[in-house]
Amino acid sequence: MFDVSLKNVLRLGYAGRTFKSGYRFQNYWDTPMATAFFCGETGAGLFILSMLLNFMPGIILGLLITGVGKTFFHLTHMGVPSKSWRAILRPDRSWISRGLWGIIFFVGFGSLHVLDQIFGVVPDQLAKPVYLLAIAGAMMVVVYQGFAMSHSTAISFWNTGLMPVSSMLYGFLAGSSLVMALNALGFDVADAGQFAMVITGQKILMVAVLMTVLSLLHNAKHGAKGAHQSYLLLTKDFLSKPFLIGVMGIGIIIPLAILLFAPVNFITTMTVTGTMLVGFYLYRILVFKAGVLDPILSPADIFKR
Amino acid sequence: MTSYGMVFDVKRCIGCNACTVACKQENSLPDGVFFTRTLSAESGSYPNVSRTYLPTICNHCEDAPCEKVCPSGATYTRDDGIVMVDAKKCIGCGSCAVACPYDMRTQIEETQVKGGLFGDGQLTPFEEQGYSRFECGTFTKCDFCSERVDAGKQPACVATCPTDARIFGDLDDPDSKVSRLIRDRMGRQPLPEKNTRPKVFYIE
Repeated sequence: MFDVSLKNVLRLGYAGRTFKSGYRFQNYWDTPMATAFFCGETGAGLFILSMLLNFMPGIILGLLITGVGKTFFHLTHMGVPSKSWRAILRPDRSWISRGLWGIIFFVGFGSLHVLDQIFGVVPDQLAKPVYLLAIAGAMMVVVYQGFAMSHSTAISFWNTGLMPVSSMLYGFLAGSSLVMALNALGFDVADAGQFAMVITGQKILMVAVLMTVLSLLHNAKHGAKGAHQSYLLLTKDFLSKPFLIGVMGIGIIIPLAILLFAPVNFITTMTVTGTMLVGFYLYRILVFKAGVLDPILSPADIFKR
Repeated sequence: MTSYGMVFDVKRCIGCNACTVACKQENSLPDGVFFTRTLSAESGSYPNVSRTYLPTICNHCEDAPCEKVCPSGATYTRDDGIVMVDAKKCIGCGSCAVACPYDMRTQIEETQVKGGLFGDGQLTPFEEQGYSRFECGTFTKCDFCSERVDAGKQPACVATCPTDARIFGDLDDPDSKVSRLIRDRMGRQPLPEKNTRPKVFYIE
């Protein structure tokens, strides 16, 4: 499905890790990192929304998805997992470092908030700061991955302010979808007003995600040479099927159509959540797979007399 | 203040890759790991075809994106402008690799170090003495042969080049050979639009 094989690389004129000059794929951040990003955005989006709704099952699930899922996949990605703690050292310049601080605040204060809600362990005057710090940490987690990618001038496709926007919108969309799914599974959201607000928010977020992904493609099509190659990979070449069918069709168009035209019941809610999450996960993987580095030098351009 | 840099004379490069081999030997690089490569690129169409060789190496950028994104402080710049990696601090997150527009970062994988050059798990004496400098899982790159430079020598690739296509020297010294070549022959930096201010220049 995601065939970045030598055959495809040669067919497309990519240099890969050969001694040929040309476009190169980034392959340093791959599926484990994409899965970690997916877990981070989904968990943080669910957590923030659930905190605002005071929806305890969502708060706990959000903490677990990020605290366990994201951490696990980050550690599987790391070359030296035992030294991962060192990533906290440079919040002044590195988005990865800032993100780790966000995770610490999110999971630390979020867990404290849950314990306070169940056992009342936090003094009253500190309950509000703990609540706000947990949300601030989660907000950092939901956007920092987009900033980490957009900071890479090496990969033109990622080097856009739309990356953190897409991270945030996808995070909140996944969060609202999971709130709906938990509600359908019997974990009741507090009242009908909140329920209606989540449904409306889900529709708005779905349209916003669609607009953002289309804007990303437009930006790539008319952007730098490397970004244009990424656009071609996602829309015309060997990544086009999973992108157009998986990300756009299954992940956005189908759930949006169901949200707009079908009645809200158990089956439609679970279908929307399932398809949306599948599309989001594919999006995370494909954005990494489509990361292309510009040729180091193009002799045809630079040394042409 | 010294600021080391390199000039590649594309007209002189014959694509022999002696630099690549010298680098691998000097740094005891495992199978599949290269700090320098001489890329080839064909242009034109038959019968008017030409081939150009492009030596590539870490550009030791003045505004190094790999250093800016490193979350653990493993990547740093020496006073003489050489961008270094402290393997003891590197966590192998790959941020530097996706930030480098020149694709000059390489991860040292366990299979590369433990498998041996012959792939049978047996390390040759050369590998045994050389691989101890690597830490599996970390990212590494060219350091302009800093140990040789500190001893007053040229980097191995420069010392080996049979056509003097690689010239190494102090960019801050206006009378150095690299400064004169860049000035007289309009040295160009790779991917200047990335705003990394590379200290490697190409002349034709």
